[in-house]
Amino acid sequence: MASQLRESKPMTTQHKSGPNLDRLYVLGERGSRQYIYPADVHGRWSRLKPWVFSVLIAIYVALPWVKIGGRPAVFIDIAARHFYLFGRTFNAQDFYLVFFFLTAIGFTLIVLAALLGRAWCGWACPQTVFLEGVFRRIERLIEGSASERQKLARAPWTLSKVLRKSAKHALYLLMSFLLAHVFLSYFVSLPGLFKMMGTSPAQHVTEFLWATALTGIMYFNFFWFREQLCLVICPYGRLQSAMQDPDTILIGYDKKRGEPRGKRDTPGAGDCVDCGRCIAVCPTAIDIRNGSQLECVGCAACIDACDDIMVKLQRPKGLVRYDSERGLAGQPRRIFRPRMVIYLLAGLVGFTVATTVWLRQVPFEANLVRGANTPYILDGDTVRNHFLLHLINKGPSATVLEVSAQAQSPIQVIIPQQSVAMEAMGSIQLPVMISLPRAASRPGLSVRMHVHEPNSGSSRDLTVPVNGPPPKPQVPGTQP
Amino acid sequence: MSEHKPEADVDTGHDYDGIREFDNPLPRWWLITFYGAIVFGFGYWLHFHVLTSGRLPRAELDAELQRIETEEAARLAQLEAEGKGVNEKLLLSLVSDAQAVERGEAVFKQNCLSCHGDKGQGVVGPNLTDAYWIHGEKPMDIYKTVGAGVLDKGMPAWKPLLGINKVRDATVYVLTQRNKNLPGKAPQGITADGKPAP
Repeated sequence: MASQLRESKPMTTQHKSGPNLDRLYVLGERGSRQYIYPADVHGRWSRLKPWVFSVLIAIYVALPWVKIGGRPAVFIDIAARHFYLFGRTFNAQDFYLVFFFLTAIGFTLIVLAALLGRAWCGWACPQTVFLEGVFRRIERLIEGSASERQKLARAPWTLSKVLRKSAKHALYLLMSFLLAHVFLSYFVSLPGLFKMMGTSPAQHVTEFLWATALTGIMYFNFFWFREQLCLVICPYGRLQSAMQDPDTILIGYDKKRGEPRGKRDTPGAGDCVDCGRCIAVCPTAIDIRNGSQLECVGCAACIDACDDIMVKLQRPKGLVRYDSERGLAGQPRRIFRPRMVIYLLAGLVGFTVATTVWLRQVPFEANLVRGANTPYILDGDTVRNHFLLHLINKGPSATVLEVSAQAQSPIQVIIPQQSVAMEAMGSIQLPVMISLPRAASRPGLSVRMHVHEPNSGSSRDLTVPVNGPPPKPQVPGTQP
Repeated sequence: MSEHKPEADVDTGHDYDGIREFDNPLPRWWLITFYGAIVFGFGYWLHFHVLTSGRLPRAELDAELQRIETEEAARLAQLEAEGKGVNEKLLLSLVSDAQAVERGEAVFKQNCLSCHGDKGQGVVGPNLTDAYWIHGEKPMDIYKTVGAGVLDKGMPAWKPLLGINKVRDATVYVLTQRNKNLPGKAPQGITADGKPAP
């Protein structure tokens, strides 16, 4: 129905009317991409940003270089399924920890979204950090201000334009290349990365393809895709928007103060002079005066832009400001709401479990696995259960594991070695034989094995049921 | 917000608790990925299900396993041709190689001791130091028994767990213990000339 309507009546071009609530400004009439040129902005939030971005980039880049306990602080060795995190080593068996860790992180971000809206998007998301902190700076450096960039884009292809564009894209590619390698070093470690960079790609085809693909993806993302990621793809942005309520602190326009818009000396006009600066500086091209919108990534550029104008007009700052919907409507603000407590508690559960398991983590893994195809073996009047004891040393150095068994007589447990020498990150399988007379076999029997690591003093207990045949049928009238 | 009047005729009239659905064009790049996926899907369907020129995962796995098996067989045949394969001659020659015996003893003590005792005298598993054998007394018989196991009696197949070299060394150690007649488990099986155990 709607498409029929559109055919019969051509749409108004949005660019005449500016950003509105009907459609994405960054998309043209038929869905084509409208490239935007956000203007430079100066102000207190804009001054803070380079510091925040620098610290975050420094952390991202430094983590693979920092060593804790002889291992990289973060090294996710997917190929060997070993995960080195801040001095601890985790194996594939420890993957369940991720659930609690993600629960904790997830609820923390939900609390943040309920409290401060999309503060994450505007200040800490890698997309923002690298786009605003690196790539737009390169663009600004080479092509100049927003209006100069726009002019250059429309200008004919002169030698100067070719040179500028090539320089910009060469720098973009270089940065994407560096970023891709930093990213890769989280998964192959720095020594691994340097080794690969010094050898032929044929010797590490997978990693080479990853590095190439990542460079390509990052280049495409940062030179062309940009805000489309936040507006169309990112599910986290939508999730955060769903977490907001009238008390969430967002970037908002004070309608009561600003409306009706008018020139400086118009009688009865509000404080907004409709200068359009807030739109010009917006990296997603929205008009913040239309209220909170899902395109808003909370970057605070419009706050600085508006404050700048207000100062020039000698009017108080804060026509556009960080405030809640209630605050903007002149109602009392609330920080603590019942939902915050619920989110915080849920997050705390995740943190508590993750920390507890983290602290109680044992530097080795021990599992008893019943021998294949043999629930039990009946050998004359003896019942046997055969197990393999899998031992894995998760530590970065060689160690010795002490194995012992507790069993009630007449159950016998035969262990080939009481103390097992383990290589660093090594694993060993020890056969264990449990035997008992058939007459003593009954359901519910079990054997407990104890594995102890003397260096850390940690140990694990393993309990396994002892299987046996069903009891021999009793002949009626006879005593067993 | 629900009183907002759209400038263009994009209102579908769908209103859910004040959230209204507008019919706006999709991003062109998104449509390109969408139609691209359809084209790809058609090609995929042709390639794998109509022309069957591509192998589905199961067939791919089978082919890979087949390839590994063929390569392994070729490798063993090559070793055999070079006189390096595991055969009776090699096993018997390694019996007099002190290092091989030592390696074999280590493998034996880690893996075989719990059933066969520390010297092969037998505990749960049969005595390996007497003249009676259940699964054959020839060096290659022993090598095969260690490698493939005797699953219904509780002896695991060791080749997948330990690899060829350790199975070979363990066999060498067992060969050194043959006919030592250590006191242990009562004899089981038959002798080389078919005499059953007492």
